[in-house]
Amino acid sequence: MSPPYIDVEGLKASYDGSRLVLDGVDMAVEENEFVAVLGPSGCGKSTMLQVLSGLLRPVAGRATIAGKDMTGSSSDRPRVGYVFQDHRLLPWRTVASNIELVLEAAGLPRREWDARIDRYLDILQIGQFRDAWPMRLSGGQRQRVSIARALAIDPAVVLMDEPFSTLDEVTARTMRQQLVELWQESSRTIVFVTHSIREAIFLADRVAILTRGPARVLEDVEVPIGRPRRYEDAEITELESAIVDRVMGVWGYEEGTPA
Amino acid sequence: MSSASASAAGFHLDVGWHRRALAFVTAVALGVVGWQIATWISDGWIPGVGEIVDATGEALVAADTWDQILITSKRILIAFVASTAIGVAIGMAAGLNRKAEAFFRPLIVIALATPDPLYVIIAILVLGTEESSGVIALTLALIPFVVTIVHSSVKARESQLDEMSAVYRLGRRRYLSRVLARQVTPALFAAARTSFAFAWKIVVLVEAISQPRGIGSEIYEQFRLLNAAEMIALALIFIVLMRLVDAVVFGGLERRLMAWSR
Amino acid sequence: MTDSRIAATAGPLQRPGRRWWSGSGSSSDRLFSALGALSFVALWWVGSVTSDFVPPIGEVLDAVPTFLTEEDIYGDISDSLTRVVGSLAVAVLIGFWAAYLMARRGFWGLVVARYVDLAIGLPSTIAALLALFIFKRSEIGVFVVVTIACFPFVAITLRQGFLSLDRRLSEMSGVYRFGGISQIRNVSLPHLVPYTLASIRNEYAHAWRVVVIAELFAVNSGIGWRFTQAYDRFLLVDVALWLLVFITILLGTEYGILRPLERWVLRWRGGEL
Repeated sequence: MSPPYIDVEGLKASYDGSRLVLDGVDMAVEENEFVAVLGPSGCGKSTMLQVLSGLLRPVAGRATIAGKDMTGSSSDRPRVGYVFQDHRLLPWRTVASNIELVLEAAGLPRREWDARIDRYLDILQIGQFRDAWPMRLSGGQRQRVSIARALAIDPAVVLMDEPFSTLDEVTARTMRQQLVELWQESSRTIVFVTHSIREAIFLADRVAILTRGPARVLEDVEVPIGRPRRYEDAEITELESAIVDRVMGVWGYEEGTPA
Repeated sequence: MSSASASAAGFHLDVGWHRRALAFVTAVALGVVGWQIATWISDGWIPGVGEIVDATGEALVAADTWDQILITSKRILIAFVASTAIGVAIGMAAGLNRKAEAFFRPLIVIALATPDPLYVIIAILVLGTEESSGVIALTLALIPFVVTIVHSSVKARESQLDEMSAVYRLGRRRYLSRVLARQVTPALFAAARTSFAFAWKIVVLVEAISQPRGIGSEIYEQFRLLNAAEMIALALIFIVLMRLVDAVVFGGLERRLMAWSR
Repeated sequence: MTDSRIAATAGPLQRPGRRWWSGSGSSSDRLFSALGALSFVALWWVGSVTSDFVPPIGEVLDAVPTFLTEEDIYGDISDSLTRVVGSLAVAVLIGFWAAYLMARRGFWGLVVARYVDLAIGLPSTIAALLALFIFKRSEIGVFVVVTIACFPFVAITLRQGFLSLDRRLSEMSGVYRFGGISQIRNVSLPHLVPYTLASIRNEYAHAWRVVVIAELFAVNSGIGWRFTQAYDRFLLVDVALWLLVFITILLGTEYGILRPLERWVLRWRGGEL
């Protein structure tokens, strides 16, 4: 059996060297899969993304993409697109200029830049903001730019860290829909972190549920619901209740910590 | 990065304190060395560190030094109190009332664009070479700074609390003392501290230009007599003294203020 | 010193002109501003009437045309301007370097902080007298005095800038593999621009005030020197004229050049912040 595209095994990670945030996480993602990582707030789900993108060195364990180790700093590591919860656009550069910057860092030839920028801005329906300053755009529009930036470099994997959690519900719904369509058209591998069970079920092929920190994978749930899905589908509700039942005890408010 | 480890907080503070003391000593040592080099380069024209230390010692025990300091301190105190009082009044008025703000705006802008010596000159022209003209000039020079600080702080207040006060009909007095005071107290404190800080610096100019007595005029006098060591000695004593007052008075007040606001 | 030393309370990044020119320019606002300006004129008039020495407004205004056509006033004006701009440039360079050291919290940062502290606590008059003594009447003296007066405030503002270098943008540039130089050029430096501009704006006015004091004592040229000359010779109309020149230049360059420049460089901010 061929090794998984994204292979995380026994991953342990910590920020301060003493307290483990991830305590032996195993996860395998096939190419072109859409996997959601679900967990309560503060459980370290973002941490796994940080290890996969090379931002954080793990304490133990392995994290590879397409067979290449992501935890070192070798230059033939595959490219990674990252969509943060806050847009992280450089406010002093226009939208197009922001994307150019990552295209340059990714080593893509200059003659391709314009085509790529136009293509992905159009796909995300923000072509008209090509020369706008990020601070003049709405939250939803900025996130679209952030997604366009992630896609424009043709990454091996797109990592998304609760990208819609700061948006209003209507915008978020639209974005989720668009994200699914984008994924289906362009065959990318996506790892999507969220704390919303429904969002995870709506978007993903599989949902990896984490425990509270120090986190391990509690369960790996297939989402057998056919696409296209509607956010209000009864099947989604059913699966959501099942998951809620499953995690209530594990995630629950036993220590009285504020949500 | 600092070498603070995850050990007990007390140990961490200790390391910080030692480092800071060492840094202070290093800074002084480097300064002394640099100054001595300057003395050698200038062939003794610039007084050496030893000379300055001697002069400082003599000045510290001379009764006249302290007379002068007392005179200067009185001026500083009057100007500080007056400028803070007037400045706070104008600043609050301007912060609360658009018309007042519009009215005072050109005055403050011009006042901030007027160089300090001009305040002295104008005061002398209008009031003559009275004792009071220097203090008045000093006060006038300080007011714009106090106004600016208080004004921007009042303007930055939470306007939602204004609305709340209006809805619950708190009335002017309750609003000022309960709602506004808490918000602007830090700025009022900062304004007072700034006023004092400027006061003792500008008073040197005022006295150097116009007054027959006071530390500033003494410093100028020593300068005219080319007694550089004495001049520096007086300056050192005055500066150290003023900074001590600031640290003790305002530093102490600040700590009490922070404790109270908890 | 239009906004200097107020960074602690008002924040160095407040948009230029926000404090006094905020809100709409409604007609009643303009009326009261005009009244304010008029009260300045009224005060002047009162002064000229009550004192024999304050020159009446009419006399001063009449003397303006002849004054402006005197060739040699422009020499002194440009002398002062050169000193202000030159010292400010040096102050920004030194302040930048000092701020970098202080933000790193290394040992030398602590040492530099002591010098910054010393420079803030040094009255300009004393510095000017010392400079006069050390440098006799050369240009260097003025430059040294103004630079020492201004660099600590630049250092303090820029230190805040360095400390606020957002981890988040560094993470983003890490994920997309910017590389060291690209990160400095595209993320760190642009972040510092607003802080640099704010400190320049604040210290510009401060530098002008200190330059006058320095020129009062330490050299034989410039606007400060002209003040002493006029005052010593009892040419009070000249004193008033030089005051008008000073205020006009300071306000003119600040509101006419510096603030628009700052707004243009920071135009990406749009409606936010």
